[in-house]
Amino acid sequence: MRSREYEYPKFAVVGHPNKGKSSIVSSLALDDSVQIGDTPGTTQVKRGFPLTVDGKIVYELFDTPGFQRARRVLAWLKAQEPVSADKRGDLLRAFIQVHRDDPKFHDEIELLEPIVEGAGIIYVVDASKPYGPEYEVEMEILRWSGQPSMAILNLIGNEDYRDQWKRALGHYFRLVRTFNPITATFSDHMSLLESMAQLKEEWTQPIKVAIGILNDLHQQKVEQSVDAIVENMQRTLTYVYAKEIHTDKASKEEEEEAKEAYRQQIVRYEEELEREIELIWNHRSIEKVENVLVFEEVGLFSKESASIFGLSQNELIITGASAGAMGGLGLDLMLGGGSLFLGSIIGGAVGGVGAMLGFDNLYEVKILGQKFGKRELTIGPMKNLNFPYILLGRALYHTSVIAKRSHALRDQVKLEDEALYTEQVIDGETRKKLEALHVKLRRGEEPSEALLASYRKVVLRSFLSLLR
Amino acid sequence: MQTKTPKLSLKSYLDFATLLRSYRGDHEQNRIFALTHKSFVTDPIRRLLLWGKEHRFKVSFSSDTDHYLKHLSVITSFLALFALIFGFLVGLGLLSYSGEAPVNVIYYLFVAAFLPLLSLFLSLLSMMSKGMFFHFFTLLFPLHWIEKLLELIPRQHKNVMVEIPPNLLKWMFLDRLQRFSLLFSMGLLMALLGVVVVKDIAFGWSSTLNVSAEEFHALLQMIALPWQAWIPSAVPSLELVEMSHYFRLGEHLNSEMIHHADKLGAWWKFLAMSTLVYAVLLRLLFWLLVRYGYRKVLQKSFLGLEGVETILREFDTPFVSTESPKEEQHLEIVPETNEQVSEDIRTTYHDVLGWNFSDEEILLANDSKEIRAKKLFSVGGSHTFTEDEAIAHQVTQTLLLYVKSWEPPTMDFVDFLEMLIENEKVTSIEIYPLGTVGRYYESDEKDIAVWKRKIQGLKSKKVWVIDA
Repeated sequence: MRSREYEYPKFAVVGHPNKGKSSIVSSLALDDSVQIGDTPGTTQVKRGFPLTVDGKIVYELFDTPGFQRARRVLAWLKAQEPVSADKRGDLLRAFIQVHRDDPKFHDEIELLEPIVEGAGIIYVVDASKPYGPEYEVEMEILRWSGQPSMAILNLIGNEDYRDQWKRALGHYFRLVRTFNPITATFSDHMSLLESMAQLKEEWTQPIKVAIGILNDLHQQKVEQSVDAIVENMQRTLTYVYAKEIHTDKASKEEEEEAKEAYRQQIVRYEEELEREIELIWNHRSIEKVENVLVFEEVGLFSKESASIFGLSQNELIITGASAGAMGGLGLDLMLGGGSLFLGSIIGGAVGGVGAMLGFDNLYEVKILGQKFGKRELTIGPMKNLNFPYILLGRALYHTSVIAKRSHALRDQVKLEDEALYTEQVIDGETRKKLEALHVKLRRGEEPSEALLASYRKVVLRSFLSLLR
Repeated sequence: MQTKTPKLSLKSYLDFATLLRSYRGDHEQNRIFALTHKSFVTDPIRRLLLWGKEHRFKVSFSSDTDHYLKHLSVITSFLALFALIFGFLVGLGLLSYSGEAPVNVIYYLFVAAFLPLLSLFLSLLSMMSKGMFFHFFTLLFPLHWIEKLLELIPRQHKNVMVEIPPNLLKWMFLDRLQRFSLLFSMGLLMALLGVVVVKDIAFGWSSTLNVSAEEFHALLQMIALPWQAWIPSAVPSLELVEMSHYFRLGEHLNSEMIHHADKLGAWWKFLAMSTLVYAVLLRLLFWLLVRYGYRKVLQKSFLGLEGVETILREFDTPFVSTESPKEEQHLEIVPETNEQVSEDIRTTYHDVLGWNFSDEEILLANDSKEIRAKKLFSVGGSHTFTEDEAIAHQVTQTLLLYVKSWEPPTMDFVDFLEMLIENEKVTSIEIYPLGTVGRYYESDEKDIAVWKRKIQGLKSKKVWVIDA
């Protein structure tokens, strides 16, 4: 699904070894499969990362090995017959031709090849370390190519030598930008692309198109994530485990076994959702450290708000009462206020009491009579009023962490700091809006499209607020 | 190649649901399909069916669908035949005339007009109701119970039943109900026409209620409203109504009736038209309406299948890729050991060299580390390779080589180091990775590890890395 019929912009990310070239490419290409390491020579061959839309390449980034024998390359270039500035690019091409089979210059050939083929230069330096004149050799070689170029100041460490670097790089590059691939947000990414668009007049339009495409792609991912979360809420909250039994009453073991199977399925649903979210955001090799969804009374369901995302009993009573009152209010309005708003009062009271009673209930265990005397032990749907908020809170938290995570990161994703998000994820106002669907799902009723749409809207808004 | 236009049917619905259970394609594959199949862009159902047809080979279809459809077809055919025969027999029963008492047209009208209207009304309520209400109305249909009994016999289609949503099942049931009712009515009509041809029947009317001939005539006029304008002979006259009124007084018929016995058979046209209009034509119209509703529900169920929404979205969303088509060549990283690592540093060296350090920087480092040396050499950086080569041959005995710890060893450095190793006058080379001046030359552990790994890879007993 790929075509090379037209000249699209190309950019070679080059520089000294271990200055974060692969991290920048990984971040810009939204690809976490790029090997990133402290050892020089981690990138052994150049690798193109095209942005394609339906097979058509919009632009292409090249990850390249770092300079290894820059002084010798420059020495060779200078040793040739002096040529005018417009012919210097040809000399670089000649260097590649002459040394193609020389293993000594393998890395230089790999990094120079896309440049002599027309790629713009993105020269990466670590601005958390001081500038050194040894870099001038590399910059001089790149200048010989005559290709449009810019420098990126990557802050790998804690120190900051950007001013020093800017003074030096200003002599060699038209544009100098700071970009930290580890902490870069989506808008940083777009800003860098805008800078790249300025390198050559012919590239401005395709890069603008690329920015539009990436914005749309980002929006699609947000929408897909919200859909996945809402779908998971529906399937989890309505899940019923059923097992055939042959006696009138289930034994203690049968009941425990069934409860365990029910819990495992709920956990499996959450794992599936997390995997789906990670794939949506192109994180395919993530290692996670997170708290497991637990069901014990002392765990996420304790009254002392052991759950970070769940609500305390008082909060639940308020949520339940508000939701009940809203239902009652609907009735009052239908009667034109003739009920003296008794509907709201009664609805609120019923909702609040329901919430009080429902706090400790996890799920119903039923024995249902079947045809020909067969019986079924069923568990679910989840009755605990707190559970939907825990589930939704965890899903939103996980999704926001994954969505914001740079593809250049290779460390473990820590999802244990849930407490940091407590208030951000689901505030009081949001809970009231969500409760209507939770009530429906708990009853095993099919929610209307309008209700689902309004629920989705609330989830989307919460998610977007977390992405900011 | 002309592709046969696929159409939605229960079979294609079930086959598609089976396909979706094991194959849904990915975004790239589905987008390619959409771009290469431009037909039916505005018809999502046909587009999906075409997609299903193309991918059908990817799954081995179980015979569950076929079994279920065969079973359904057998039950339907059996019940259809049963309805036709039953209608015919009911007709014969209603029209049985022994010569002692006329056939009461009220009985016949009850079965041919009132019951069909009642059944249509129930069907209408079923159509408009859902959930519990639908089940309530369904329970009123004898057909529901006949089917329940028949469904107990074969069990193979149990899995397929899961795929059919309750609403679709309801419409399937309503559709079959109309067909069977239509056949029943046709049986009734056939019986009427048959009996009229082969027997001479005297029709009459009788009721315990105090209904006058005028009132009854008015009712009949109302019933005959749809055809009285164009078939007036099929509307009983007041005279006929009066003369066919009989009272079961003892075993004798009214002498007036006996006198006009030849005229009493004129009722048959009215009865035939009542059956045709209320039992056959109205049912036929209603059946067409139900068929329309069934098709709409089938379409809705088809579009509501899990996975369909995603596939349709993938059809219409451009496929954006940022990944590299080239596999990464992963570098094997050997962990560092303590081999050739020294934790101590001497105070005196014969020569001190600084790789990418200026003379001033070397002096400053010597002062800081209290190191004395006979000669100092600045190498690397802006020096040429030839200059470094000369220094490599010039140095002797014990050497201390300062390097910037954060700059990983390039091959340029390794080339220089190899020249030092080859210099027989040199007895030992100690490489000292220094941190930045800002950090008082303190290095990061991970930077030192890079140097250790590189030097250990050279396998030279002359070279040491200082990790002080």
